[in-house]
Amino acid sequence: MPGLIGHDAFAKVARAALDLPGVDGVEVLFMHEWGGLTRFASSEMHQSTAREDTGLRVRVVSRGRVGVAASNDFSPGGARRAAESAKEMAQVVGADPLWPGLAPMAHVPVQMERFDEATSQTSPAARAEGVAASVGQVPPGFSAAGAFETLAVEVGVANTEGQICWAPSTQASITTVVTGGEGGNGFAETFAGSVAELDAEAIGSRAADKAISSQNPRALDPGVYEVVLEPSAVSTLAGFLAYMGFGGRMLAEGRSCFSGKEGQSVGAPSVSMYDDASDPSTLGLAFDFEGVARRRVDMIKDGVFLEGVYDMRTAQQTGRQTTGHALPAPNPEGPMPLNVFMETGDATVEEMIAATTRGLLVTRFHYSNIVNQVDSSITGMTRDGTFLIENGQIVGPVRNFRFTQSIIEALQAVSMVGSTSELASEFFFSASRVPALKIDAFRFTSASDH
Amino acid sequence: MLDVAKMAVEAAMRAGADYADARAGTDLEESITVRNQEMEGIDRSESSGLGIRVLSGGRWGFAATARLAETDVTTAAVQAVEIAKASSRLPGDPVRLSEVEPATASWSSPMKEDPFTVALEEKIAMLVEATRRMQKVQGLTFAEGSLDLFRRSTWFASSDGAAIDQVTTHSGGGLEATAIAEGDMQRRSFPNSFRGHIKANGYEHVRALGLVEEAERIATEAVELLSAPEIPSRKTTLILASDQMELQVHESIGHAVELDRVLGMEEAYAGSSFVRPEDRGRLRYGSPLVNITADASLPGGLGSFGFDDEGVPAQRVPILVEGVFENFISSRETAPVIGERSSAAMRADGWQHLPLIRMTNISIEPGEGSLADLIADTDDGIFMSTNNSWSIDDKRVNFQFGCEIAWLIEGGKLTQMYRNPNYAGITTDFWGSCDAVAGPEEWTLWGTPNCGKGQPSQTARVGHGTSPARFRNVQVGVR
Repeated sequence: MPGLIGHDAFAKVARAALDLPGVDGVEVLFMHEWGGLTRFASSEMHQSTAREDTGLRVRVVSRGRVGVAASNDFSPGGARRAAESAKEMAQVVGADPLWPGLAPMAHVPVQMERFDEATSQTSPAARAEGVAASVGQVPPGFSAAGAFETLAVEVGVANTEGQICWAPSTQASITTVVTGGEGGNGFAETFAGSVAELDAEAIGSRAADKAISSQNPRALDPGVYEVVLEPSAVSTLAGFLAYMGFGGRMLAEGRSCFSGKEGQSVGAPSVSMYDDASDPSTLGLAFDFEGVARRRVDMIKDGVFLEGVYDMRTAQQTGRQTTGHALPAPNPEGPMPLNVFMETGDATVEEMIAATTRGLLVTRFHYSNIVNQVDSSITGMTRDGTFLIENGQIVGPVRNFRFTQSIIEALQAVSMVGSTSELASEFFFSASRVPALKIDAFRFTSASDH
Repeated sequence: MLDVAKMAVEAAMRAGADYADARAGTDLEESITVRNQEMEGIDRSESSGLGIRVLSGGRWGFAATARLAETDVTTAAVQAVEIAKASSRLPGDPVRLSEVEPATASWSSPMKEDPFTVALEEKIAMLVEATRRMQKVQGLTFAEGSLDLFRRSTWFASSDGAAIDQVTTHSGGGLEATAIAEGDMQRRSFPNSFRGHIKANGYEHVRALGLVEEAERIATEAVELLSAPEIPSRKTTLILASDQMELQVHESIGHAVELDRVLGMEEAYAGSSFVRPEDRGRLRYGSPLVNITADASLPGGLGSFGFDDEGVPAQRVPILVEGVFENFISSRETAPVIGERSSAAMRADGWQHLPLIRMTNISIEPGEGSLADLIADTDDGIFMSTNNSWSIDDKRVNFQFGCEIAWLIEGGKLTQMYRNPNYAGITTDFWGSCDAVAGPEEWTLWGTPNCGKGQPSQTARVGHGTSPARFRNVQVGVR
């Protein structure tokens, strides 16, 4: 089983790139990842994998001209070759008028507590036991599909300004969908920093219970409904706002749904969203991919949009300070928040259901995509457990709907916020920590047949 | 590198595998983006490593490593066997593989001009000139041009005796014109959205795209869209341009006929399919004009190869014949489940990943006539072009797509331009309403370089050949 390469070994390899002569600056981004994923379907383990890879991404600047080269050859020779390739590119491109320089030397504390040795060394047999425990909760006539993953990552950034930072971390997750019976599925997932925090049986049981209660879903007309969104569904809204709304470059260029809305109401007063990699309840890195310490950013506070996130280039572009949200270079889309939180409220899901006259309880969304970026409209499907609520009670399961909805309009219609939060994933994005929401008007534009 | 793959196979067999195959590989990529005549990003990346897949006790195990020393390769092989053995923790039918003749072969995609030897200065100059021409259009906010070059070299060996080396080179480029005003943003792309038109060819493909020549036109359209009305909401006749047909085929046919989805192997992530094994030869998927073929032997397709990542030779497979569903795309594991042999559709996103069933080049066979004929033959309808949004449910039934631009068709002519066009439908109803497919002169082999599937997530590069087509009674303007 692989293990940590470590700060010193990274520094030694990076030095071969940092010493490149004839340039004004060099930055080395190092990533080392290893782990295993045990995948199951039809209650059998069908695709189980293990992998290890290293990556070096070298950015070279020469008279304001920037080139980037990447290699997975983690050696002094590999680092030097990548640097020379980046230099070759930097010598033929035009100068970047917004080049902000490399990150200055600044102390970023190493958070060793985010690395769990046991998780990094999880064996295939241990993952298989976890899968068996989860699948064991599935009743006769049903089957389970999903994945149990354990992952270890170390990231380092070093540059010729003297900045060097390094951090290891681990994560573990179980996701499962239970299907069977007379139609209707159930879903559950859990993410954590260590494998010891996972409760495989509980995940299997939760998905199985939902699948049982989803049997024989009935057809219902699309339209505008009250909704109670479970955290996995809310994570879709949070993920798309992170992707198309909160980035400093999109904000500055008028491409964000929040462009020009600083200080304006964009949600109900109960809605607050922030990004905070340092919070122990998320899976965050203390610094960004250009070596700047990440800081907490309150994007939406009490329903009012306050600010977005920035890297050094967009900070230069907008006359602000970087918030430490750079992605790996080159990055034409600009910075993005990767550790989004929505603040909890004081309601339980049961209280939200009880407060619903006629609406839908949504477990999660599927394959969502942008309809109109500047008005925050997205479309997607419900899946794995959608239920009709009437007069404060769940009446029964319904077939899946397509929604087409502005996220900002949905946030403005939030009437209740869950008292607890979950780390939940959206198909294309990193996990957000979000509560359940009750939204008083949510637009479903068509229905499917299952 | 073939020796490395063979060494891995031998180590796996010594460790107790019943079957093993290994792929040693190198990926080389170069990407250039210019915006408003200035460099936005330029990078090259290179990645090498080995992936080894084994069957032991009827279960798969897979391990990948970037370290290629003999001890590292042996460790990975042993690890793959351990994973396979751990997977027998739950009961199930053992994997059976369809037969394949072990091949010893070399294959390369067609290429006249190596894109990696063309001078960077020349590539950048073309993009700068294209964006300069776009910026001449008043009201344009961003003019962006991009080039993407890719080369994958793979050495495959199996315990059956296969020894195959393949080199695939992909080249492509595109333009994106963005106009922003008064809280609205409109975009036009050329030749297609999502970084243009990529093919399994050399730089000659990029030179033939006409990026500089078309720059001003798409910039003008982007600006004009800002003042165009929103498309009205109604049911009407819809003509899709070839570039939008690409994604329509991809999402509502290509994914639905992947046999691993049908068998539930992707259930928890990307979803399954409404198509069932017993639907072969029975399910009316589309009108009799809809003929769909999966063809991995098509020159220039992103889904073209000599052999798939199980060593099965490329094939041409009819998927829909006169609208009736006939065949899935499959693998050596899944095909025997329905009594078939592999259709050669297993590909991995590089050496790091386990091969999955992926689309090859899934294309609609051309019909007759030009796009102009199709429009002239339509009294009232909508013509939409260039995808900008896609979404479909977990069984590939309910879809909704957005396009960059649309025009009203009145009396056989394009009249009013519309912004923010979209349409929605149910897969078999939609394909069943197809009453015209344009001819071979309108047929273009597109590349989709960003098809996501699998856990850990993989991105495949697949191809789709499409002509414009007409559909009746389609819901447009979903809001």
